Amino acid sequence: MNDLTEEQIRTELALILDRRSADTRLSTMGAGSDDLDEGRRYLANTVRDGWHVPTWPREHGGQDASAHQNSLIGRVLREFVVPDLYPFAIGLGMVGPALLQHGTEVQQRDWLKPIASGEAIWCQMFSEPEAGSDLANVALTAQQDGDEWILGGQKTWTSRAMWADWAICLARTDPTQPKHKGLTMFAIPMSLSGVEIRPLMQMNRDAHFSEVFVDGARISDQCRIGDVGEGWRVAMTVLAHERAGGGSRGGGDGNARGLKLPSWVADLQVLVGEQSSDWRNKVAAIYARDTTSRWTAQRAGDEARSTGSPGPAGSGAKLRTVNSYKSRSYLANRTAGAHGMLEDGHGYIETLTAPSMSIRGGTDEIQRNILGERVLGLPGEPRLDRDVSWSESRRGLI
Amino acid sequence: MTEDSLVDPLVTETAHRLLSEICDHESIQAAEATGQAPEIWNAFAETGFPWISIDEDAGGSGGSLLDALEVLRLVGYHAAPIPAAETGILGGWLLANSSQELPDGITTVVPNGRENVTGSVSGDEVTVTGRALRVPWARVAERIVVPLSIEDQTVIASIDSAQCAIEPMTNMAGEPRDTVTFENVQVPLAIAAPGIDLEAFRFRGALSRAALMAGAIEKMSQLTVSYTNDRVQFGRPVAKFQAVQQHLVWGAQDAALARMVAETAAREAARGTAQFEIAAAKLVANQAAARATKACHQAHGAMGMTQEYPLHHLSRRLWSWRKEYGSDAEWSSWLGKIAVAQGADQLYPLVTGGSAVLN
Repeated sequence: MNDLTEEQIRTELALILDRRSADTRLSTMGAGSDDLDEGRRYLANTVRDGWHVPTWPREHGGQDASAHQNSLIGRVLREFVVPDLYPFAIGLGMVGPALLQHGTEVQQRDWLKPIASGEAIWCQMFSEPEAGSDLANVALTAQQDGDEWILGGQKTWTSRAMWADWAICLARTDPTQPKHKGLTMFAIPMSLSGVEIRPLMQMNRDAHFSEVFVDGARISDQCRIGDVGEGWRVAMTVLAHERAGGGSRGGGDGNARGLKLPSWVADLQVLVGEQSSDWRNKVAAIYARDTTSRWTAQRAGDEARSTGSPGPAGSGAKLRTVNSYKSRSYLANRTAGAHGMLEDGHGYIETLTAPSMSIRGGTDEIQRNILGERVLGLPGEPRLDRDVSWSESRRGLI
Repeated sequence: MTEDSLVDPLVTETAHRLLSEICDHESIQAAEATGQAPEIWNAFAETGFPWISIDEDAGGSGGSLLDALEVLRLVGYHAAPIPAAETGILGGWLLANSSQELPDGITTVVPNGRENVTGSVSGDEVTVTGRALRVPWARVAERIVVPLSIEDQTVIASIDSAQCAIEPMTNMAGEPRDTVTFENVQVPLAIAAPGIDLEAFRFRGALSRAALMAGAIEKMSQLTVSYTNDRVQFGRPVAKFQAVQQHLVWGAQDAALARMVAETAAREAARGTAQFEIAAAKLVANQAAARATKACHQAHGAMGMTQEYPLHHLSRRLWSWRKEYGSDAEWSSWLGKIAVAQGADQLYPLVTGGSAVLN
């Protein structure tokens, strides 16, 4: 299909979506509402012509769009009301692209369309109590039994687990291999017998992260994503897409065409008494950084979608996006004064959420490490356990 | 050093021991859920700790202001969910300095009365009207103390909490910060002793928060060092990574800094006026709290964000206290004006000599 012009895209979208107004507000990822319906309605609405995931193949809910077309669509979409797609973000932004790269035809056929239409919610079962930054230390095991795999172990920080229909799950299939090598990726239905979800309450009262206990859960070999022993490679694809932020187009804030101020500035203006030049300087600095970080994230996302394998640029984008969120939250907190410390005060949730931003989805330290090693070519961190079998390194023999 | 400039070691030891026993993770969580902690308060009050530095003649427990602030530091360290400062060195101090009776139970104080609470004197009574915001623990207080400035006099109204309408509100740390409405409440007129006025009260409030914050930052730093030494990733404790060590150093520096300024301010305040030291202490504590909470949360990773791990008891208190009795901007501006008024030649003497130079 020929690329559409910006105006044609706008006309098409106007048929199915409402235009964004000045009241459209920024939502806080993971601390927003639990309303799944609004996102579902939006995705069901956009999936027919592939507007939300344009680069995906048409038969899977996309429109086979080029990277250029995709980025144009993304820009125009900002003029319309896109609800907070937090519940759907793992499927849309991470699992979907990973399936396009590593999934079988059957897996793509069965799983992609329901992701694009909002029918199926996915979560990511990667982190474990002993495998956080050191993700390759995963201990949840999968043992082959004929055509099936039997899974056992514990995951943690599994966001969206309570909503999810499916999880993408990193498991250890060969403990005699070094830690990065004995891993395999699976898809598991969350309703499976032997899978138990326990919400973990966060300090911002959010309970969207869970512990997931897996005990003797059986899945078919059809649920294996990628080859046995190739789990780390699949995981890296998923994480690179996470950093590149490919999935999160929803819930964006102002600055669409025709709006004078982003809503966070408009909100702060109500609170600030006399605008000092110091305050204005801060607002302008954050706005400028915000805008460039959004462009950078967009560029990283476009690159990820067009090549199917995002590079380290996503790490830079994640660092900037986090920094941007935190700066806005600190300024809101300062501006709101003593009243901002009260429950429901302005910036209250953001203040309690801000510290998690530079931790979730890979800490700032991990992102900088990736940039140091892969962009700057600095010497790598010493990796003492590289050539040692996982079961041995785990016993602390190194 | 004189007697006055030393904390009684017995105070430190007993307060630390008692608070360790009565403040555990569950009791702090429970206090947050219900807005009160009667068991913790009763055990604490039974020892007389809340009324240290108030003369025994006036119904207090005696002891020095330094001792009282040391107890507050430990209250902060243990994240004890109790109105220790309000009952003692703030509310109790105002009552004792206006020759009024100290109640046996909890006293609280309206922290920002001049904004929207007024009083009018008629004969030997004062009538109080208005809506006070963010009053700590008003819902469980026996008396609510309102310092008022009326015609060049400072009036200390001691109000039975049953005479007010109390609307529960909560700060970021889950501590009660209630809205209290006074509708023509009449109480006997009590005039504050010379030197006790709204400004002195504001500084006293800042001093109390600086002590609490110093304790909380110290505990936060200790928790972080211990967690990062236990937490193993990539085959070694994360505390072995330089990137993590940098966070640990920020936490430790800020703990030392906040304690030093709080103690300096306490010592000067015990000797006399200490406006410069208190302003500096609150500002430094505020800034230290902002840096240290960032560093300690980052070093903890995801675990520090959960309710089940105690870091948030400290960080959320620090974010709340940072805004009470003077934000960074307020104290920066106060200090800046003083420095400018003293003139360039006096800057160094001011920084080294503090309040003594101003008097």
